[in-house]
Amino acid sequence: MRYPQSLEALITEFMKYPGVGRKTAERFALYTIHRLDGESAQAFADAIRHAKSSIHMCPTCGHLTDQERCEVCADPLRDGSRILVVESAKDVFSIEKAGDYHGLYHVLNGALSPINGIGPEELNLKSLWPRVQEERVKEIIIATGATQEGEATAMYIRRILKDTDLLVTRIAYGVPVGANLEFADDATLAKAIQNRRSF
Amino acid sequence: MRIETVTLADFRNYRKQTVELASGLNFFIGANGEGKTNFLESIYALALSKSYKAEDREMVRFESPFARARASVMSSAGRTDLQLILAEDGKKALANGQEVKRLSDYVGILNVVLFAPEDMNLVKGSPVDRRYFLDVVLGQIDKRYLDDLSAYKHALKQRNELLKQAQPGKDIDRDLLDVLTEQLAAAGEAVIAKRSAFIAALDRKAAKAYQFLSVKQEDLGLTYQPSVAENLLPALKARYRSDLLSGTTNHGPHRDDLGFMLNGMPAASFASQGEQRMIVLAVDLALVEYIEETKRERPLFLLDDVLSELDREKQNRLLRRLMETGIQAIVTATELTDIAADIIGSARIFKVAQGTIKEEHHGQ
Ligand SMILES: Nc1ncnc2c1ncn2[C@@H]1O[C@H](COP(=O)(O)OP(=O)(O)OP(=O)(O)O)[C@@H](O)[C@H]1O
Ligand SMILES: [Mg+2]
Repeated sequence: MRYPQSLEALITEFMKYPGVGRKTAERFALYTIHRLDGESAQAFADAIRHAKSSIHMCPTCGHLTDQERCEVCADPLRDGSRILVVESAKDVFSIEKAGDYHGLYHVLNGALSPINGIGPEELNLKSLWPRVQEERVKEIIIATGATQEGEATAMYIRRILKDTDLLVTRIAYGVPVGANLEFADDATLAKAIQNRRSF
Repeated sequence: MRIETVTLADFRNYRKQTVELASGLNFFIGANGEGKTNFLESIYALALSKSYKAEDREMVRFESPFARARASVMSSAGRTDLQLILAEDGKKALANGQEVKRLSDYVGILNVVLFAPEDMNLVKGSPVDRRYFLDVVLGQIDKRYLDDLSAYKHALKQRNELLKQAQPGKDIDRDLLDVLTEQLAAAGEAVIAKRSAFIAALDRKAAKAYQFLSVKQEDLGLTYQPSVAENLLPALKARYRSDLLSGTTNHGPHRDDLGFMLNGMPAASFASQGEQRMIVLAVDLALVEYIEETKRERPLFLLDDVLSELDREKQNRLLRRLMETGIQAIVTATELTDIAADIIGSARIFKVAQGTIKEEHHGQ
């Protein structure tokens, strides 16, 4: 037996989310029907519509904002000599939460991956090139992920910037702070040893 | 290392079966189609989390929802309880009751070397078969090899996809091609180095093992045949044009091969049927030794139908050597008529009939 059409439509919408398969989408849809009262359902729909219409990418760095420019780019007290390049806006929130970095960001919205149809054109790179030519910018910190795609993206940016006199750095990977070595997986440990520093 | 007990539930033609293995030779005797190979396959699957010849669901007993294989393994690390559960919607591998998620963390807890009739493909078959052999064996010995190999395969997929996008008149991003080539080469070099060292070590050991088996002064040689002789990065960079034209990566470890020479002649074309079997067996004996040296742990030796393929003298030579080294071996056969009494006397014997295994006591 099939689901009523409007329920099926809701399931289809949920399945568009990353990590949500048919089964989970069905659970979400049924939950929406059984457990959300009219008001919550309305609030949910409104939140989606509102977020979608008010939030856009910062024209300078690609971070998410509901203002003209994002909070970081608009802040005159940020250190404009550094730009930290990340794959997603989520990374900016994580780093800001840590509170230790005071420079600027650049959000790529993805990482290079031909098998996923993501080439340099698909990333927010075009707006990076004019930024690195600004006088005040001295260092580009590449903080893309430690995956093949993140690594390829980092290597690509380094290549493009190789004839500039910018300092191009890559964040280090290693053992989690406060953790014993025995809890780090083999690959992380190997990387941590490769990237050791004098001390 | 050795297995103390194996317990099967709805695995192939076994409904419920527990077998207590001896630490040395274990013979599994039965007529055709009774379940000898199935039992061996269960031990292999416990070690590698998959079969060497079938899909996961084929190992589940007909009409059953899932299969379970379990073994208690004694090694220098102590006792480990391994469990493999195969179900319709996937499988689970557990060590001491804890699920092990990463393949490279599971493989290697139990080490096995398998001789199976289909291993003839090692000499006769295609390079794909030989690369598969190398990857499975090295993966079992060296955890990082599996990581290097999967990094290589992933980078290869990315690079091939990019090359496919290159069409006459449509250029691709050269910087991206350079980057993916560098990544591919870095992972590829690690794979090549490990394969090369491994084959060199195996070569010497297999040559000795072959002489032992054949009694005659015969010369077996294993050679690594990498797809490029130079370093991988310059080799790949020098071949951009042909890669762009064909839309795929034409060189690298995914095109490697392993060659067997018997008395200076390529074994694939010149060795007899029996000689090819002995080559495979010599490689397996070499592998046992290699694993023992590198992992400081003696693997289990699984020998399926090996006896019917050897003449009487060689059967006894092989078994006596296994007996003397004390390795735990599981040997299947339809009968033991040609085997010397002292070898049989030292072994544990099981009768396999219609999916049931019973230990046979000597003198019965
Ligand atoms: N998933 C399964 N469920 C039930 N029975 C199975 C399953 N897979 C295979 N069998 C049965 O197992 C039998 C084959 O067992 P096996 O290959 O172990 O025989 P064998 O003892 O090694 O014989 P041979 O001496 O011919 O090699 C066949 O009769 C086959 O029907
Ligand atoms: Mg068989």
